[in-house]
Amino acid sequence: MLWEERGAHVGERVRHDWLWWTGEERRRRSASTGKTITRDHHKEKRQAVFCMLTGMEEYTSGDDGNFNTDETSVLVKECIEGVIGGTDYNHNKVNQWTANIVEHSLTHLVKQGRPFKYIVNCTIMQKSGAGLHTASSCYWDTTTDGSCTVRWENRTMYCVVSVFAVAM
Amino acid sequence: MMEESDTYHIRPNHRFKFKPAVVKGYIRNIVRERLSDVQYEPETVAELTRSLAESVKDKVKTAEFDRYKIVVQVLIGEQRGQGVKMSARCLWDADTDNYAEDVFMNDSLFCVVTVFGSYYY
Repeated sequence: MLWEERGAHVGERVRHDWLWWTGEERRRRSASTGKTITRDHHKEKRQAVFCMLTGMEEYTSGDDGNFNTDETSVLVKECIEGVIGGTDYNHNKVNQWTANIVEHSLTHLVKQGRPFKYIVNCTIMQKSGAGLHTASSCYWDTTTDGSCTVRWENRTMYCVVSVFAVAM
Repeated sequence: MMEESDTYHIRPNHRFKFKPAVVKGYIRNIVRERLSDVQYEPETVAELTRSLAESVKDKVKTAEFDRYKIVVQVLIGEQRGQGVKMSARCLWDADTDNYAEDVFMNDSLFCVVTVFGSYYY
């Protein structure tokens, strides 16, 4: 191939790429074929954010589309047991405990590799005969998003962990 | 960063971003209005917690944060000198998502309200 020809091909290909990114080429091609060539920007953004948050390459949508309450509840219970399993309420350690419970729960949830953003909330209260109430109200897509609250207690304290999962 | 074309909204416009300060103001007003002279009573507080969560959610919806999913959590407890610790951690896109919280106390109860906003691409 002559250099001029190669140069022309390279130049043209580069020009095509540039036009693709700006949308002009896309419109020109769709005008000639009659079909619309579109990129799903929302899907690409979701995959990019998923990759950034979890370090995994891709998520597979499909059966993992909905939040699984039971599985999450079991997972969180294990995390709580692991951190405050056999201990009594200790004012100096409470900070550390809540941070650890929340961190471990989040890490295990992320390992599942589902396309969700998570909010994990943990409350530890000393047992003193006082009452505690918690309620939540959510504005989201009820088919894909969900929450799960786990109540745990031992002789000296209560622990309540809430997990909210919002689909990406 | 994704290149935007054809105005696909994959990140909120700065004016419509979830603003913690604004939401905190809403929470403060609602909580002070509803709880300023309320005493802790086991029968009534359960219903009060639920309705408070609904009110805060409705108020935040009126602020019209476009394409945001809202989660409101309300915690009310009796004050008896016990120790309480509450913490939260979130895995989300810090660019677009945020939260606001407020604590209210009177001599018989304490109340913590947290609102989380997550953008739907």
